Amino acid sequence: MTTPSPALPLFPRKKGEGGRRPGGGRGLDRRATFWFLYIPPLFWLGAFFLIPLLLMLVYSFRPDMRGDFFGAWQPTLDQYAKLASTGSYWRLLGISAIVAFVISVSAVVLSYPVAYFLAFHGKQRAAFYLVLLLVPFWTSYLLRVMAWKIMLGTEGVINSFLIYLNLIEEPLRFLLYNRNAVVITLIYVWIPFATLPILAALQRIDTSLFEAAADLGARPIHQFLRVTLPLSLPGVFAGFFMVFIPTVGEYVTPLLVGGSRGSLYGNIIQDFFTKAANWPFGAAMSMVMLAGTLVLVTLATRLINLRDLLE
Amino acid sequence: MNSRRSKFFVLQALLVALTLILTACGGGAADVPPGELTGSLSVLDWAGYDAEDFWVDFKNTYPNVTVNFEIGISDADIYAKMAAGNQADVFHPYTGWLQFYVDEGLVEEIDTSKLTNWDKVPDHFKQIGQIDGKQYFIPWDWGFSSVLYRTDLIPEGVDSWAALTDPAYGGHISMWDDGPAAVTVSSYIHGYDETTITDEQLAGIKDEWIAQRDLNLFYWAGEPELVEGMTSGDVWAAYAWQGAYATLLANGVPVAYANPKEGRNSWVGVYGIRKGTENMDLALKFLDAKLAEATGNNVVNLFYYGHSNQDVMNGITDETLKEAFSIDDPSILETTNFTPNLTAEQRDAWTAMWAEVKAAP
Repeated sequence: MTTPSPALPLFPRKKGEGGRRPGGGRGLDRRATFWFLYIPPLFWLGAFFLIPLLLMLVYSFRPDMRGDFFGAWQPTLDQYAKLASTGSYWRLLGISAIVAFVISVSAVVLSYPVAYFLAFHGKQRAAFYLVLLLVPFWTSYLLRVMAWKIMLGTEGVINSFLIYLNLIEEPLRFLLYNRNAVVITLIYVWIPFATLPILAALQRIDTSLFEAAADLGARPIHQFLRVTLPLSLPGVFAGFFMVFIPTVGEYVTPLLVGGSRGSLYGNIIQDFFTKAANWPFGAAMSMVMLAGTLVLVTLATRLINLRDLLE
Repeated sequence: MNSRRSKFFVLQALLVALTLILTACGGGAADVPPGELTGSLSVLDWAGYDAEDFWVDFKNTYPNVTVNFEIGISDADIYAKMAAGNQADVFHPYTGWLQFYVDEGLVEEIDTSKLTNWDKVPDHFKQIGQIDGKQYFIPWDWGFSSVLYRTDLIPEGVDSWAALTDPAYGGHISMWDDGPAAVTVSSYIHGYDETTITDEQLAGIKDEWIAQRDLNLFYWAGEPELVEGMTSGDVWAAYAWQGAYATLLANGVPVAYANPKEGRNSWVGVYGIRKGTENMDLALKFLDAKLAEATGNNVVNLFYYGHSNQDVMNGITDETLKEAFSIDDPSILETTNFTPNLTAEQRDAWTAMWAEVKAAP
């Protein structure tokens, strides 16, 4: 995601000017600084993301698991053909995208007020509130999902409370072990992630614009709709994609709270890797999901045209 | 067996004998006293079995050998890792998943003459580790699969595997998350021969499990999840190993482990040695110590599974465990169906069938 920043070219335009910015003089040559700072993360990304991704791509063209990985084998499209002919997997991919969309929109809508409060009404305590928002991250992801099992279960917090109030006699069984439980849990898990980019966008807004709007007679609601919201949209979209992209392939939460009917596409991928010993097919499914997500995100960025928003 | 002490003496005698044999053999590592033997061994095992309790005899005999564990989360996971070139010296698959290791040259034949505890393993267990007449695996842990149910919620009892597809228990059933197990259950119900399931039969099985999904609360992946569901009363009937049964009994939950008219299922865990390992000697010592009594007792007492050393099984006195293994009712073993070995084609077809069940509309 591009951010509007004063144009500081990464590379010096003219040879020889490199390390000598006005007032510079000390420190490393800029080119050297660039490589010094970029090589470690580039290496990390290459070794632990790009190479595994390439290996997975290679696996998706293998006929089966037999034989050495580097041994002789004929590339084949068998896995993709098998996948193409299984309608239920495509359907599930569509459902997973819809579920991810619902979760992302809900998480963004719910986190906007939080970010707004932190940005404009947190005052000196804003840092403290931000820490409060991030407290859940001090425990493991798994633990937070398990906590929702305790909330939603038949002997869980919600059911016990409703029974205590005499509102129901039998525990509600539709709370846990279905897709709704997956959606509720994931919205909760992602709210802090969606809040941060929105908060960053709101903090970048020049507050004198609000005064200008007020001077020109805008009421608070108009000021929000015409000034604050449009200027914070890059953060909103960043938050949306930060939630959407990982959620399309989500599998841990459906496994724990989804029950028999809550599986998402990611669960089927996981099953082919861990329960079926069929890495080639799992790899093909992953590649299709990766391609699908990329297409969706590209389409979305085209439609929304982030650059326009930013300028 | 009248006391633990006598077992302890037997164990000590064994260790002494082992030391003598190894010293007498001469040559190579055998010259080194066990206490001074060094080196490292890598084991691909299931979570939990990496605890020292389950290799205590090896630890005590060879305190200076480092054992590194890598965890596999299922048979499929362990096989896929070995097939992809994992360098573990020793690995731990279960019945059903043995044939491909031999077919694909991933496992070394075991020289059982090097195993001092081998004669304590009954023949019918030894045969489970044999493929094409060769001993590729040594049997280690074993147990049943059957229907576990809450006696207070299903007072009429369960006498068939069909309970797992019975609409009367809708919303309160939990099946194990495993394709081959689903095929096994359906085969028992319909009287199919598991080793010759046809495509038509498999298609029918798939439809049955898709229909079963609306009766099924959740597919359990690990025993603790199942135990929790049965304790809370959300799950009334489930596919289960007797480990869950023993845990629930010990916790005072009213449960019974069915003796289905189709027979229980039975499985055996085995250890194999990777073909081409440079640690053959240590690997054999590790397997031998796995068969020893202190290790076996821990398998029985801590995980409630059976052990392939008959002396261990004969020494069980705990009533809960006797109940769990049906030790006082040998007729159950006669009607137990051992899990047959899958072919690569069956493995792929049955696991894909299960994925389609979970992905179905």
